[in-house]
Amino acid sequence: MIQSLLIANRGEIAVRVARTAREMGIEPVGVYAEAEADAAHIGQMDRAMSLGSGSPLETYLSIPKLLAAAHGAGAQAVHPGYGFLSESAEFACAVSEAGLIWIGPPPAAIEEMGDKVRARRRMREAGVPVVPGSNESAQSDEALAAQAVEIGFPVLVKASAGGGGKGMSRVDSAQDLPAALSEARRVARAAFGSDRVYLERFFERPRHVEFQIFGDRSGNVAHLFERECSVQRRHQKIVEETPSLALDPALRGKMGLAAVEAARAVGYVGAGTVEFLLDEQGRFYFLEMNTRLQVEHPVTEETLGLDLVRAQIEVAQGVLLPEAWRRGSLAPRGHAIELRLYAEDPVSFLPRTGRLLAWEEPSGPGVRVDAGVQEGSTIGLDYDPLLAKLVVSAPDRPAAIARARRALAEWVVLGVETNAPLLDVVLASEEFASGRYATDLVSRLPLAAAAPIPDAVWIAAALELSHGSPRGGEAPRSLEPWDETSGWRPGS
Amino acid sequence: MAAGLVKIACGTESLDIRLEEEKALLGDRRVSFRVRRLNGRLVGIEIEGRIFSLRSARVGDALRIWCQGRVFEAQKASSLAARARETGNLVSPMPGRVRRVEVAAGDRVERGQVVVIVEAMKMEHAIRSPREGIVGSVLFQEGDLVDAGVELVEIE
Repeated sequence: MIQSLLIANRGEIAVRVARTAREMGIEPVGVYAEAEADAAHIGQMDRAMSLGSGSPLETYLSIPKLLAAAHGAGAQAVHPGYGFLSESAEFACAVSEAGLIWIGPPPAAIEEMGDKVRARRRMREAGVPVVPGSNESAQSDEALAAQAVEIGFPVLVKASAGGGGKGMSRVDSAQDLPAALSEARRVARAAFGSDRVYLERFFERPRHVEFQIFGDRSGNVAHLFERECSVQRRHQKIVEETPSLALDPALRGKMGLAAVEAARAVGYVGAGTVEFLLDEQGRFYFLEMNTRLQVEHPVTEETLGLDLVRAQIEVAQGVLLPEAWRRGSLAPRGHAIELRLYAEDPVSFLPRTGRLLAWEEPSGPGVRVDAGVQEGSTIGLDYDPLLAKLVVSAPDRPAAIARARRALAEWVVLGVETNAPLLDVVLASEEFASGRYATDLVSRLPLAAAAPIPDAVWIAAALELSHGSPRGGEAPRSLEPWDETSGWRPGS
Repeated sequence: MAAGLVKIACGTESLDIRLEEEKALLGDRRVSFRVRRLNGRLVGIEIEGRIFSLRSARVGDALRIWCQGRVFEAQKASSLAARARETGNLVSPMPGRVRRVEVAAGDRVERGQVVVIVEAMKMEHAIRSPREGIVGSVLFQEGDLVDAGVELVEIE
């Protein structure tokens, strides 16, 4: 029985895991880098261990420090969250070798799916359709040129060790290929430490639909339906939803089966996600598998009424998948949409820094916010600029969209600029409303003309600025808990 | 309630505002309003019965305002913004340290393009070009300390 769990992460996912741990009677132990000793996620832990000073590489990515923290706190298990070391087979091994329970899949499965080329080959062997692409062995310009002709232009050049859309480029004809390959190798070597590349057929307007899967230690594997993740900007997801309007029951059934086969092929245990591309003809292809919990897992939780972190912890302790999962008799209800709120400049899309001078989360029926920050939090450049996830659920999709817009309009964020305006433009667009959209949706949205400045804003500015301006700039908001004007709510 | 005339700049617009008891003159439009406060803080403005929730926080000479899902930044036009608009040069709205200069002499810039980043109060403030133009000279470099109102970049 796990009594104490080390959460080897930060921000919203650390809070997420800590909440479930508490509900299960497990003591959540957090970690932090000294540079952010006041980070919001620490407040949700029973105990917190310092990882010392230094960069993320020297702290949240340091296996020895994380293991030392687990031992120092007397934890029996380690949850890696997402990002950081969650897909590090080395870390998974080290955790087990240290006598701790790893909340995640076997290291072999992580390794097999971590190399994108190996993963594709494994999937082909398992009979799962994959995006037509090049052979792993083809690495020379000549070999890749020949492969490109077979696949058919346009092709996408990708890094074998890569992910997240980095180091990808589109090539329209054979004469453009050598330059694209050389650039891709350069980027891949710098970002991932390996210059191995592969080619894939390029789809004009694909949809990105992924399936949540779960495996237990007895070899049972089930899927928990899909998530539509096609609203992306620069290959980063910003809005996800379930169910996907691109799937009818027949297609859903086929893709679900394929996802389960994919997981079974690598002996998967725990939570994982199989990502597919859907072409314009509705054919699906394996894209990659993520051997961890995904950022957008809450939309699955909300429509199925499940706690996936709880399931992860139970499976890690040898509990079998519930019978309803194995029988496939689960039925999702209603519709859920997740919006990712990022600290970023709405014009340049560059990450922003600042201090949250005001932060008031939306709430009400069907509104869930998973946040890793609070009022007063400093937003720096060292970590992922994801501030929080807004997850709304409603009986149907139009109601969910209206709820998402309502919640966004309620969300007070002052101090850093965010992508909230872009999120609202997406939600308000006809294309999103139709449900018939693909991964180019954001680039197709017309840049909204700025709405006029409300009279209320002019009046407020005149009122507040007429009283003279303090130089040096202090925020008038106090962060003392006993100051009622600060909005700081004890216990939150 | 403050009375008298004040010129406010917000974004790329500016407006002459006269406030009287529950009446505002916005440019040449008359608007009746009421103020909603919570413990002395301004939390809303009611205009002809319609409620607009808002929050604000000062950053140097500027006021950041959140209003129903949108954020704005306003300043007294008499302070810095007006000078910038007049001379076409960019001025720092607050004392701070030049963190990053994003342009060089001769660069073409668009309206709204980030030109300089000034760090103050542990926050980065992006200074944007108020209009399209060509950068004349950059008057400061990374690491320099600047005072509020100091010209940073010439834009022709």
